[in-house]
Amino acid sequence: MRTTARTAPAAVPADTAPSGTPKAPGTGDAPALSLRAVRRTFGPTVALDDVTLDVAHGEVHCILGENGAGKSTLCNIVFGTVPVSSGDVLLDGAPFAPASPADAIGRGVSMVHQHFSLVPTLTVEENLLLGRSGLRPDRRALRERLAELRADFGLVVDPSARVDRLSVGERQQVEIVKALLPHPALVLLDEPTGVLGPAEIDGFLSTVRRIADSGTAVVLITHKLAEVMRVGDRATVLRGGRVVGGGRIADLTPERLVTLMVGREIGGLDAVLAATLGVTGPDVAGPPAHGPTTTRARARARAEEPAILEVRGLTVLGPEGARRVDGVDLAVAPGEIVGIAGVEGNGQSELVAAVSGSLAPEAGSIHLAGETVTRASPARRAALGLGVVPEDRHHEAVVPGLSVAENLLLGRLREHRRFLLLDRRSMRTRADELAERFDVRTAGTDAPLSSLSGGNQQKAVLARELSLDPLTCVVAAHPTRGLDLGAVDDVVTRLREAAHRGVGVLVVSSELPELLALCDRILVAYRGRLLGPVPCTDPDARDRVARLMMGTAA
Amino acid sequence: MNLRHPLSVAVLAAAAALAVSAVLAALAGATPVEAGTALWEGMVGTPYAVGSSLGVMAILLLVATGFIVALRANLVNVGGEGQICLGAVAATAVGTALPESVPAALALPAVLIAAAAGGAAWASIAAWLAVSRGVSEVITTLLLNFVGVAVLLLAIHEEALLRQEVTSSETLPQSAPLPDAAHLPLLGVEGSPATVAILLSLALAGVVAVVLARTATGLRLRAVGLSRPAAHRLGLPVDRLRFTSLTSAGAFAGLAGGVLVATAPFVLAEGLSSGYGFSGLVVGLLSRGSLAAAVLVAGALGFLVSGGINLQLAAGVPAAVTQITESLLVLAIAGSAAWTVTRARRGRTRGRTVRSPFRRPPVDVSAPPDPPGRPAAHEPAPQPVGTTLEEARS
Repeated sequence: MRTTARTAPAAVPADTAPSGTPKAPGTGDAPALSLRAVRRTFGPTVALDDVTLDVAHGEVHCILGENGAGKSTLCNIVFGTVPVSSGDVLLDGAPFAPASPADAIGRGVSMVHQHFSLVPTLTVEENLLLGRSGLRPDRRALRERLAELRADFGLVVDPSARVDRLSVGERQQVEIVKALLPHPALVLLDEPTGVLGPAEIDGFLSTVRRIADSGTAVVLITHKLAEVMRVGDRATVLRGGRVVGGGRIADLTPERLVTLMVGREIGGLDAVLAATLGVTGPDVAGPPAHGPTTTRARARARAEEPAILEVRGLTVLGPEGARRVDGVDLAVAPGEIVGIAGVEGNGQSELVAAVSGSLAPEAGSIHLAGETVTRASPARRAALGLGVVPEDRHHEAVVPGLSVAENLLLGRLREHRRFLLLDRRSMRTRADELAERFDVRTAGTDAPLSSLSGGNQQKAVLARELSLDPLTCVVAAHPTRGLDLGAVDDVVTRLREAAHRGVGVLVVSSELPELLALCDRILVAYRGRLLGPVPCTDPDARDRVARLMMGTAA
Repeated sequence: MNLRHPLSVAVLAAAAALAVSAVLAALAGATPVEAGTALWEGMVGTPYAVGSSLGVMAILLLVATGFIVALRANLVNVGGEGQICLGAVAATAVGTALPESVPAALALPAVLIAAAAGGAAWASIAAWLAVSRGVSEVITTLLLNFVGVAVLLLAIHEEALLRQEVTSSETLPQSAPLPDAAHLPLLGVEGSPATVAILLSLALAGVVAVVLARTATGLRLRAVGLSRPAAHRLGLPVDRLRFTSLTSAGAFAGLAGGVLVATAPFVLAEGLSSGYGFSGLVVGLLSRGSLAAAVLVAGALGFLVSGGINLQLAAGVPAAVTQITESLLVLAIAGSAAWTVTRARRGRTRGRTVRSPFRRPPVDVSAPPDPPGRPAAHEPAPQPVGTTLEEARS
């Protein structure tokens, strides 16, 4: 059955591309890229099913979908990292079955990956020359090509700069230059803006537009609707590996796209979720929809209570001795949700590490529930009721090789001992109960934690941290990163519930709309300091935070 | 017969190894039948052969048990040899200092405890360096082997230390024999040199298996071994657990040294260990963290070593050839097992080439690596763009 026939865009003649005249090599009537009934399975999981779509020369084709919808698999198929299980891929009308990325590049396909693929200790030039064959790379040809790219697309890179000295935005620029070097006919961009700040995103999107205008076909994988509306020509929405809709952006509304992505009407969505999707930013829907805990009166009442978590003059040094956190003061009252926004790398990670006990501060003090815990062990902090949702789930939050039950109870094995042995039965009972209460979906709590999906792993972390007894304060670093909408919804609800019970909550996130909808006030991390606060009830909160993120005074 | 069955693979590999060995033995002048008979006789032919095989097995099992304890915390103890030496030195020092009147019920435990303490002390150097300074325990334990062997040599060459009284120019550089009370009792099988060491090693392996699998300590060690940052985050005493596990490994190897001294000929002499530390390491590695497997592997290797000695004695095959035979057999069986496991794993994940670390696109080292997991885990969170919808539309 061809369920896609109705909604999948038919072959788009090149002349329907809304802007620019195609002048890329090999421009014929055939689309730059065609997928015909492509299917890809991983064991029993169907990642892509009967996907048919066309990307014309000179258009920005956006692929949207939730996590696990198959967006990345689609990219990997076209870039030669994964073969199709069945179906055809056509490049410029010719069959295309790349066996490796090198193969794909040879056929004029370039890709910018979600995570940077640059060697940090090499210079930009050396990075760009990597992968070229020959003993003596042609540096002069490279410089000429760089000059060309600068003239055509306004892409400026310093070839002699070392990559690890570059900002995130500059690295992204290098990635794009790297992708454009071999004159590609098709550029794949896999979630390219995830790590960029607002200003960098603006610059990036205009570059994307210029690339498409030069006749190159661009496939942009994203879940940010605002980006799609801004640069996209056409969109295809994937859900569960199938094409569920799409068409010309001009004919689509954001609401329609969200409905397609999520598979339900927006009305049923949490305010935070809607904000995350960019459907109803605070500026659109007026003041953000607040959770039950957030009213001005409550906020005032809280201001008089002593803080549950207090940080004074905290300074944390990075590995090279740089002041990653520079004399930060911070207080979180019971029942208050405080957000820390900011472009990544401005000291948020180090601040969380110091508060959670993973990193010893250089100076300053940390007080939790009336006790000084500046250098206390994580166990001591947990005993005082500090729950921590670490930033890097696999590195620090869980032990993927252990079972779900073991992960949930590792910190309190003392409560599960019978004689000298572990009481596995009581562990299982407790773990089952926690998994049910926090809606962790497992094949059983004996299954290894690594068998859970990202969202369920995060739910397990929350289950462990929020079930501390007593629980006085929660520090959550990027708690919704990598999660699909359902899981985001769940995490946000749990944090709100905790605050409602009088727990102080500190959330670090780079997702501004989410913070605006969740928090009482927002601080902005900028070069190791905290700027603000900006109360979220402020109608200009969004703009003020955005300005602070770029280091301009509010 | 299914040639791809794991068992057939192992049998074929072993047969190939034996064929190569037979050729080598033939070159050394022994017919394959002679060599085979000698090997078999040396392994299980007589009660004496069985007894000495069990003796070797006990030593290997003790070292391997310790190795597995450290491996749980992701520490690789390569220092078995040095720890055996120090254990033996400590055991000899205590054993020869005991007055004759001490009963066996006290003397033997004292000697063995001293041995374990000696090995533990030696391993604690590497453990301390690993925990407090972050020095790789592979390097430190390996290098301490040489020092450990030298300490043993020094002890038996100096009369002020452990050398027996020098009465003539023919007095060997070895310690005085341990008193009878400190001898490990024989199992009592006619004509067999087997001592209670085999029972001791099996019992300890059993206890360790239970501790690792069924107690909180075992689970904590495993968590530390799998992820130090997560274990630290969850409040486990990471440093203490790592120190203790490596030191315990030393204690087990030291105990093996004590057992060597407390069996015939009951003296501390040069070449006392002759590579048991490394063979024990091989047992530990081959058993991949399972004590049940360690018992089997230690048994197989113990019998093989013992058979190899008879191969030299009875068939006149050079020691080098017997060692080649042993090594080939170990390689063949371990290699076929590894091949089987890899093949099974590849079969399970067939069609998931994306997830193979070798096929993934290179990742900026400063960015967190993609965690292994379901495909869903590979996509980042929905992140809002910095522009509002109103701006986006305009």
